[in-house]
Amino acid sequence: MTTLLEVRNLTTYFHTQDGVVKAVDGVSYDVNRGETIALVGESGCGKTVSALSILRLVAEPAGRIMTGEVLFDGIDLLKLSTEEMRKMRGAKISIIFQEPLTSLNPVLTIGKQISEGLEFHKGISSSDGIQEAIHLLKMVGIPHPERRIYDYPHQFSGGMRQRAMIAIAIACQPQLIIADEPTTVVDVTIQAQLLELIKNITREFGTALILITHNLGIVARYANRVFVMYAGKIVEHGTAHDVYHNPYHPYTVGLLASVPRLDEPQKTRLLPIEGQPPDLIALPIGCSFQPRCMYAVPRCQKEKPLLLDISPNHYAACWLSQNGIRPWQKKSS
Amino acid sequence: MAEKIILKVNDLTKYFPITRGLFRQKKIADVKAVDGVSFEVLKGETLGLVGESGCGKTTLGKCILQLYRPTSGEVIFENKDLSNLSDKELRVFRQKLQVIFQDPYDSLNPRFTAMDIIGEPLRIHNISHGKEYQERVTDLLNLVGLAPYMAGRYPHEFSGGQRQRLGIARALALQPEFIVCDEPISALDVSIQAQIINLLDDLQEQFGIAYIFISHDLSVVRHISDRVAVMYLGKFMELSTQEELYIKPLHPYTQALLSAVPIPDPDVETKRSVIVIKGEIPSPINPPSGCVFHPRCPRAFDLCSTTIPELKEVASRHFVACHLYH
Repeated sequence: MTTLLEVRNLTTYFHTQDGVVKAVDGVSYDVNRGETIALVGESGCGKTVSALSILRLVAEPAGRIMTGEVLFDGIDLLKLSTEEMRKMRGAKISIIFQEPLTSLNPVLTIGKQISEGLEFHKGISSSDGIQEAIHLLKMVGIPHPERRIYDYPHQFSGGMRQRAMIAIAIACQPQLIIADEPTTVVDVTIQAQLLELIKNITREFGTALILITHNLGIVARYANRVFVMYAGKIVEHGTAHDVYHNPYHPYTVGLLASVPRLDEPQKTRLLPIEGQPPDLIALPIGCSFQPRCMYAVPRCQKEKPLLLDISPNHYAACWLSQNGIRPWQKKSS
Repeated sequence: MAEKIILKVNDLTKYFPITRGLFRQKKIADVKAVDGVSFEVLKGETLGLVGESGCGKTTLGKCILQLYRPTSGEVIFENKDLSNLSDKELRVFRQKLQVIFQDPYDSLNPRFTAMDIIGEPLRIHNISHGKEYQERVTDLLNLVGLAPYMAGRYPHEFSGGQRQRLGIARALALQPEFIVCDEPISALDVSIQAQIINLLDDLQEQFGIAYIFISHDLSVVRHISDRVAVMYLGKFMELSTQEELYIKPLHPYTQALLSAVPIPDPDVETKRSVIVIKGEIPSPINPPSGCVFHPRCPRAFDLCSTTIPELKEVASRHFVACHLYH
């Protein structure tokens, strides 16, 4: 497997009246061809901004990518001109947003919105684009596509809108799809339909997928590798198996212990993470998770831990883990 | 568990009329939000109510509390049918039946301080005054894990999890016997959800409150409930104890719902298969004939499109509305 995308030391800040919000603070990750990775974390941890930064869709002027490199097929996307960047979006990298109602254009027909990208990137005529749109809608499982292409977004149900979004995303057969909480606003049975659809499509075309979610179950079901984010930083990453069964960061441990499992008998007490996520304007000194960490030692308050590999392909930013101390492991076994 | 029934719902329906015309409004159809639901809630137990959006679970909760007046059927609490009582007569019962809403952002008055919010039920029902009132509010703040010095703060000064704690404290103020929790954790982050679930568990243990816990999150419902009812298009599809329902689900809809929920364990997930049910939920204005689930059901047969299956007890305390088991 070869590397398709390499994000190096990406830093995206938002300049607000109250101060600088360090939404993404030195994040590095990579995606191989055809692979599915997951960025997981709670709201405000920077997972969406780090993905929007890849496509340079961060709202300026408040938001700015300060430093870093985004190497896609060896090309640094952050160095491209606006025009060159437009040719990447939708053609090589596309995105599926969380809320299709706000990300689809309400005054254009579904068919037009699908063919738009094809006309721009492939230079085909609009009538050919419509034919292609019918084919794509059929592929994502919308009945009577030859009629439905003339519908507007409000005539589609939530699940169907998200299917149309998927059709737009795959129209130009990109090498990478970013799915930002693609099923958060739909019901479980529709969620299962959409995620299976995305999985089958990425398998069929060998598309790489960045799945952004807060749902640890979805990650376990679909991702090969997992990147756990907290307060703008990646705190742990590794294969899904390693991260779930042998977590190295107390935040990952806390997340896993705080969700009830469908296959678990009742009333085993949940172990929530106490306190609140930190203010991204005034991050704590040392480790950002330290004020909520039940295992913190004095060093955690003074020095920021680096993200280091503790075992092969399994990284964590935690002083304890890096010194071989994992008090949480006793309980799990 | 003391098998004392505190709430009994008999054949409850709630239809919302759809009208046409500006001056002489003519009813053209009904939205059958809740369509013939019967069940009991025992003292100190949690009945989980699951289903997808639009299945009628919130409407059912509101009908129990008489926030919506049911179209027909009975809601019996302490031998009184609440649906026949006047608003004035209901006031007495409102002390015993409380509610926690989904969104702590718009269920708290932004112009009230925490003390005003939690104390409002005490003032309305003329329960305590002066020093006693302040002490009671302080106790309630402590009970839900908020510090007494926060009493003077306004809702926007609290985080989402803290606001939900305020909502819980308000529901507890009158020492109710029964609380409808309508998606109380859906708006919160995972680590905060666990804090609220534990709080609800503790309060139940301490005060013996019965809950109806409405949620679309099947994992959370399993965790918190003693019995679980699965709703689809205004009807109960299956009702059983938590163990039975999750280990031996009978209704094809329950089976599909459970298989759709991913488990946070990659090793378990590789061994599971997903039952993907086709299509979307039909309109409750014109629900399918026979079993409302039959157009999407992978196991439907002739009878399903013509005859409505009754909710019947097929094993001890396990009720299912499906022709496969009758």
